[in-house]
Amino acid sequence: MSVLKINGQSYTMDADENMPLLWAIRDIAGLTGTKFGCGVAQCGACVVHLDGEAVRSCVTKLSRAEGKSITTIEGLSKNNDHPVQQAWQDIDVPQCGYCHSGQIMSAAVLLRENPNPTDEDIDNAMAGNICRCGTYPRIRKAIHNAAELQRKATKS
Amino acid sequence: MENSGKNKNIKLKKIAIPLTVLLLTGVITAFSYSTTLNSANNYTKVPDIAVKKKDSIASVKAFAKVYSVLMSPRCMNCHPKGDVPLQGDDSHIHTMQPKRGTDGKGLYAMKCANCHQPENTPGLHAPPGNPNWHLPPADMKMVFEGKSSHELAKQLIDPNQNGHKDMKKLIEHADDGLVLAGWKPAQGSKLPPLSHKEFKKAWITWLETGAYAPKK
Amino acid sequence: MTQSRNNDNFSRRSFLKVAGLGGAALCIGLDFISEANAAVIKPHEASLAAIEFNPWIIIDPTGKVTIIDHRAEMGQGSYHSVPQIVAEELEVDLKDINVEFAIGNEKKYGGQVTGGSSTIRGSYKNLLKLSASAREMLTTAAAMAWSVPVSECYAQSGHIFHKPSGKKAGYGELAFAASKLEAPKEPKLKKISEYKLIRKPIRRIDTAAKTNGSLVFGLDKRIPGLQFASVERDPRFLGKVKSFDASEALKVPGVKKVFKVTMGYYEFNREGVVVVANSTWAALQGRKKLKVTWDSGDFKHWSTPEILKKQGELIQSQEGMPLKTQGTPTELLAKALKKIDVTYQTPYQSHCAMEPVNCIAHYKGDSVEIWGPIQAPGWIQDYVSKKFGIDKEKVLVNMTFLGGGFGRKAMTDYPHEAVAISKEIGTPVQVIWTREDDATLGPFRPGISYRCEGTIANGKIEALKFRMAGQNNDHWRGGKKTEPNRSTSEGFLKPYYESIKNLSISDVLFETSIPTSFWRSVYASTNGFAYESFMDEMAHQAGTDPLDFRRAHLQEERCQKLIDKMEEVSGWKKRKKNEGYGVAITECFETTVGQVVKVSKNPNGGVKIDKVWAVMDCGWYVNPDIIHAQVEGSIVMGIGAATTHQITFKDNVVEQHNFYDYPMPRINEIPAIEVHIMENEADAGGVGEPGLPPLAPALTNAIFDLTGKRIRTLPFKLSEV
Repeated sequence: MSVLKINGQSYTMDADENMPLLWAIRDIAGLTGTKFGCGVAQCGACVVHLDGEAVRSCVTKLSRAEGKSITTIEGLSKNNDHPVQQAWQDIDVPQCGYCHSGQIMSAAVLLRENPNPTDEDIDNAMAGNICRCGTYPRIRKAIHNAAELQRKATKS
Repeated sequence: MENSGKNKNIKLKKIAIPLTVLLLTGVITAFSYSTTLNSANNYTKVPDIAVKKKDSIASVKAFAKVYSVLMSPRCMNCHPKGDVPLQGDDSHIHTMQPKRGTDGKGLYAMKCANCHQPENTPGLHAPPGNPNWHLPPADMKMVFEGKSSHELAKQLIDPNQNGHKDMKKLIEHADDGLVLAGWKPAQGSKLPPLSHKEFKKAWITWLETGAYAPKK
Repeated sequence: MTQSRNNDNFSRRSFLKVAGLGGAALCIGLDFISEANAAVIKPHEASLAAIEFNPWIIIDPTGKVTIIDHRAEMGQGSYHSVPQIVAEELEVDLKDINVEFAIGNEKKYGGQVTGGSSTIRGSYKNLLKLSASAREMLTTAAAMAWSVPVSECYAQSGHIFHKPSGKKAGYGELAFAASKLEAPKEPKLKKISEYKLIRKPIRRIDTAAKTNGSLVFGLDKRIPGLQFASVERDPRFLGKVKSFDASEALKVPGVKKVFKVTMGYYEFNREGVVVVANSTWAALQGRKKLKVTWDSGDFKHWSTPEILKKQGELIQSQEGMPLKTQGTPTELLAKALKKIDVTYQTPYQSHCAMEPVNCIAHYKGDSVEIWGPIQAPGWIQDYVSKKFGIDKEKVLVNMTFLGGGFGRKAMTDYPHEAVAISKEIGTPVQVIWTREDDATLGPFRPGISYRCEGTIANGKIEALKFRMAGQNNDHWRGGKKTEPNRSTSEGFLKPYYESIKNLSISDVLFETSIPTSFWRSVYASTNGFAYESFMDEMAHQAGTDPLDFRRAHLQEERCQKLIDKMEEVSGWKKRKKNEGYGVAITECFETTVGQVVKVSKNPNGGVKIDKVWAVMDCGWYVNPDIIHAQVEGSIVMGIGAATTHQITFKDNVVEQHNFYDYPMPRINEIPAIEVHIMENEADAGGVGEPGLPPLAPALTNAIFDLTGKRIRTLPFKLSEV
């Protein structure tokens, strides 16, 4: 039995400890916002926060996640209003949208650690997330906008 | 190990290269070679504490083995000349361009441990793992890539370039967890050219015989 | 956005007279109900629960308006654009509506195959009429209720207002009365200048659900009793299962059953062994333990060097089947003192949508229900109906959101296989393709070789001859091999036919056992590279500026204006000589796109792309921001296809596997992109695909400008130029 804490809620799972966190989140906890893209940490569609870090859940075993705090896209904010989510909505970043759970979770870590990222910082944070629709120019713009939103929120 | 024959060949070749570079002509006796080295006097002396018996010939010979290992993808890939690690047996730039960061553990959403687990992830091209997976930190980059054996030897024993390691720590470093990880590569990745045992022996021999740097 | 309504109800309500459906299964999605003004409102049989004005508009008594998207949403924006059109003429606010996907029903909706960039261009005129018609009926109903002239009433935000008195009534209150009225045959449509929604960059209604994980893609769909399956299929595509050992797989906890399954690809059978389990992970683990041996002996195995060699020989030795011939190009080329005669080669491509192929099927004996990321519900209905002997109407196909499609998800193979598995196990099943399955099993965009010959007289093209050898996707669907590929001219601008008096375009038959099919922009993606690169070679031969050369050969108003715009936005005339500018213009799916690419020397070696300017003329359009996004995305995909991607084969086995050896462009590799839309009122053209073909030739033409090196084979590495 494993106990996972996902988005503040405890899930008891009778699952193989070697099962990737991705499948535990999707198939057992039933949170399907976290996506399967490649299975080998190449694309970033499966990014969740594990104690705040943007881990690739497709290669992270259940055993590593036990006792840690897991945040998925569903838990990033209560009202879909994390600055990154807002910025994504403001300029319609997604096309098909499949990769964007991961994109947003990666961008959220960037903004937490660097509230004023340059284009280079964005490359350094986001090159692990693939978007086949090619929304990259908007991802870049939205991260700059999100930084602005975050700064305004902090000031007020 | 089924590849032992091949590995031996690789080993011989790898040793042969630095030696050939060292020697002014193809075949020179050990004596003249030593003399050449001494007269050139361009190697760094290490503190004598751990040195059991100075022997520049044995030392340089041992370092050739050490060098062959350190310049293999399993070691060099995480000692790049830039701030992005290398990847694969062909040591290409890591596809996702993860950056070193100040502590060597990556940046933002691209920290090493976000993909590299405490152990290798099974499967071809899945991330290799270690609990302490990282690059050297920004203030101590310990670059291997592109270094000649002379440069690397000097760097390894210079406390200002080796992470402030003294002789004792250098010897201990042969059994460092991340060093050992080189011999547990991900599925489909090749091993260093020597076994860890052979490497460790060469490493200690090199240090204990005076840690002579091969000639430029 | 809600998806509360039960689609089962919709399938029973069909009030529109439908016509013009001939060939729906053969050509992509341009067919549409032909009699928009035949819309007849009838109350929904469940009394006043909701009234369906026509297949796209349903109004319930509370005034809630539901708009149906009859096409797949794979990022290109149908889920937003269809409602944006309807809401304009119906006069409702987008924030107040529900949007739902239609279930597969071509009698009701016309063609639903979402391909050929056809959603808007194939439906907008009828959607405008249907929506205006409903609006007029609601207005009339209000006028009658108030006993006032209709001319004093107007519609706005889901209400009818009486101007003089200020009275108002909601659509919900009026719907029933309106439903008794006859639908106006020619409702009054707005002028473009009157649009409040159309042609405005309105934010997409599906975005919010894409930022919090709530949007349901195929892989996210869950239904009661669902089992999970993964299939080991013949890596050589058409082989048979010789034997398999399931003993180890069956030991994996959660694995329930292992058996042989056949996936039909048109009339071809692709065999595999499926592992069914109670979770995705268990199915994947079980599959790893499978041992399967294949009998792949009765068809030829191809390797990439052989494909390229064979194609190269064919275009040298054969004239091929002519698709288009005018004048005497062969004779003129034979006589020409100076001619260019060169070969272009393009690789096979995999779609690699971010959401790997997957499908849920539930076989129930006399009916089947399917859910998944699906571009072609009607084709699936036809195919499954035929294969399992079930009435087409009883094959219910539900489109979920698609995590990308690019043509792959217009196939009927993966739903067919899912149905076969469900039939065997007797419960619903979700079949999950791994990334490796998705990348390696095809169908692929065919790689094509081109021979381009031309000669110049008086600064213009005197004769031009294009020949291609590459697989014809139609052959997999039973297309005649004695006829040329109908798409051989795709991508080539039609006005060239006017200016180039001696021209031929032909197709030399080339076949392999490798399954091929549509890939974003289809043949224009490879034709465009060859034809527009060659146009550059001709311009160079003529000693003319490449854009001026095109201007001289494209004597058509819209093309001239497009070229004006390209010059203006890219600063074409101000560029310095050999500064690294390239241009290309292609047309596909009724839309013309011109691109200018600027490259420069990369200090680390090779060249880098500094900027791409794109000008799209798609005529009438809906949402400029979605167009910008589609063109940006097409350019990124085009960069990958030109500079990185190629599926290669060794003895029919694909040599790439996943993103580590079929790497996608990443954020750090993307140049600045600037998109412009031509403003005119011409009929709408496609948007999702036409932005892709010009990228490769504009890029290689730019490289020629910078370095003098002509690239004729894709892909090439920017770092090695």
